[in-house]
Amino acid sequence: MREKTVRDMSSFERKRHSLEARIVRAAVLICISLGVVLLAVGLSLYTVSLVRQYVTHAFYLSQNAAQSVQKGSLNGVGIAEQVLEIYRSLSAEEQAKTGTEEYRALFQEIKQNKDYHAMKDYMLPTFAQSKDVSDVYLAMYDGTNNRLVYICDPAEWYHFDPGEWESVEKNEADKFLNWDGEGMLYHLSVTKEYGWLCTAGTPVYNKAGEICCFALVDVSTGNILAGMSGYALQITAALLIMMVIASWLVLRNIKKSLVTPINEIAAATQNYVEDRRAGKKDADHFAALNIHSGDEVENLSLVMADMERTLSEYEKSLTSITAEKERISTELALAARIQSEMLPSTFPLFPEHREFDIYAMMEPAKEVGGDFYDIFLIDDDHLCMVMADVAGKGIPAALFMMSSRSILANNAITGKSPAAILADTNTAICKNNPERMFVTVWLGILEISTGKLTAANAGHEYPVIKQPDGKFGLIKDGHGLMIGFKAGIQYPEYELTLEKGTKLFVYTDGVPEATNAQEELFGKERMLAALNEHPDGTPEEILNSINRAVDKFVQDAEQFDDLTMLCLEYKGTAPADELTVEADERNLPQVQEFINERLLSAGCSEDIQAKISIATEEIFLNIAHYAYEEETGSVTVSMEVSEDPPSLTITFKDHGIPYDPTAKPDPDLSVPLGKRPIGGLGIFLSKNLMDDMVYENKDGQNILSMKKLL
Amino acid sequence: MLQISKTIENGTALLQLDGRLDMISAPQLDAEIKASIDGVQELILDFAELTYISSAGLRVIMTAYEEMEKRGQMKLIHVSGVVMEVLEITRITDIISIE
Repeated sequence: MREKTVRDMSSFERKRHSLEARIVRAAVLICISLGVVLLAVGLSLYTVSLVRQYVTHAFYLSQNAAQSVQKGSLNGVGIAEQVLEIYRSLSAEEQAKTGTEEYRALFQEIKQNKDYHAMKDYMLPTFAQSKDVSDVYLAMYDGTNNRLVYICDPAEWYHFDPGEWESVEKNEADKFLNWDGEGMLYHLSVTKEYGWLCTAGTPVYNKAGEICCFALVDVSTGNILAGMSGYALQITAALLIMMVIASWLVLRNIKKSLVTPINEIAAATQNYVEDRRAGKKDADHFAALNIHSGDEVENLSLVMADMERTLSEYEKSLTSITAEKERISTELALAARIQSEMLPSTFPLFPEHREFDIYAMMEPAKEVGGDFYDIFLIDDDHLCMVMADVAGKGIPAALFMMSSRSILANNAITGKSPAAILADTNTAICKNNPERMFVTVWLGILEISTGKLTAANAGHEYPVIKQPDGKFGLIKDGHGLMIGFKAGIQYPEYELTLEKGTKLFVYTDGVPEATNAQEELFGKERMLAALNEHPDGTPEEILNSINRAVDKFVQDAEQFDDLTMLCLEYKGTAPADELTVEADERNLPQVQEFINERLLSAGCSEDIQAKISIATEEIFLNIAHYAYEEETGSVTVSMEVSEDPPSLTITFKDHGIPYDPTAKPDPDLSVPLGKRPIGGLGIFLSKNLMDDMVYENKDGQNILSMKKLL
Repeated sequence: MLQISKTIENGTALLQLDGRLDMISAPQLDAEIKASIDGVQELILDFAELTYISSAGLRVIMTAYEEMEKRGQMKLIHVSGVVMEVLEITRITDIISIE
């Protein structure tokens, strides 16, 4: 299945895939985090400054209060000493009863003092004007028990009577009691009762200069928080606006410099791909892009344009390389065909020679190779057979094969012996063989009339022979060196006499070295076994069965060598289908008997038998009387039956005076019988009784053939 | 292989031929005719059983015809088949009367 491409996406998927959306998400995220940090920092700064303001305010208020208590007409110091005196005089158990009516009763006399009320009345309206200030009061820290003992508290909310105390943190008590007068004296605390609380204070000294109490100012936190939330709201709104503006700007910028060019490149790529699919090859999709963003995207577009150009160039060269390769392979195939068609392959090659039957085949491997065979007649009685294998493959081997074949044939046709043919071929090839190519050759010459086979072997495979009643077996013949190796080599030659029915099999190493998928060789033993499976077949049948056996053995394994084989069956000289007698009229009965026997077995009518018989008599007597004049000589009579058209041909051969009876003018039959010449009638009669009469003089022989259609 | 039976009656010699008239048997017929035609005015050759005739046989017949022209006449009877064909080819049928 093809992978999903941009074209297959829905618009929703495309949007989700877009850089734009991703950037917007990133911008929003960044703005939010930035906003939170800014908000936190801003709020902290705001809080610190606000607190500082409140502390300052509270501290000055406490200073004023302390001064008023200490120096004014109010007897704050006296009241304080009075309250503390009572407090200190109490036992711990009594002190612990603070907040109870019983405890308050202990300080009854203070509350009845008019100075206490004057001070309370003074402090409340005077100092509690500011709405941020929740209380202004006098109190003293008990450093031993970490308590704040109230002296005068004008507040109504969370009011303490004189002498009542509450627990404080130790560090608060220590800070206030041991203040060195530097800076502002205050304490921030978070309490259950009052929440976030700031207490600022100024010590009030008695006449002895000791701290007798503190004028304390409490500042509430509610207002601070209210201020803070308002501030936070403003900041958040400002951030939101900034965020929107910033996102929009970033987006616009990125869209211009990144998204649009990338989309252009994507569109160009898509068009490029579509054009390629449609087979258009020369469009400049990337080169036409006009991206000048001055960054990686521009680099990308340049690289893509470069890629497009390089691909196009590569493709052009690939096309020409492919065309060239195709041309070469076509030529190679043509060469292979020419090579195999040059070998004689129209069987039967010599239908007129009944003395032998021969068949050969070359099953070429994939490419042109170096195997070849050759079969030709040197003269009427000598058949030359060649089986050869050029080392190597391809065009060089094919060229070498061509020249080897013609040198061998040219040497053979001059009538040399096989050893001489190989020796002379070797000398000729060695003269001009800079590539040091070799060819192994088996060459045999059969004397057709006698069955004598003369052969020589230049480094080729052993031939195989089957005697009429025997089996196929190797002949370990004497080998010479392969041709092309070294000049001046002599080759051993040997003779075999082929009986009627003897078969000869020669081949190239492609047969025993055919290899199957398991890398096993076909081998000579399998080859002999296959030959002996149908030893009585004709040469053609034998070669076909070997071919099948090899095919079955190798199965589908690719073969690297040609399969080249030749098989000859010697059938002996022709049976007495011809008769040679002395050219004497006394031999006429013998000649006529020879002809009549064959006419009878050919089953022709009496009428035709009589006509042929008459013609035979006339021609034979003519030869007997005139061919050799005073001397004696022989005449050979033969008869042939032909199927197409059904006919009989009688042939007379003699070595007498050349004489063409067909050229003799017909006798004049219009003259009176008495004036007719006696001779000449016989040939005229024969011509008229037969359907055709042909004369030729060949190799010093008169050959006269007469044909009678059946 | 030629059998010849001869009948001479009232100056007419009848020779019935049975077999082949070839180079070998021709001299036989020639001798028989020569021995039969003294005082004969008509020579009749019966070819009913003759299956074969070659130019050697024709020559004997032609010689006999020349001889009989001087003494009277000669005719061939019961000619058929290949023998008739040979006589026609050589146009002997134009000269010698055949019944």
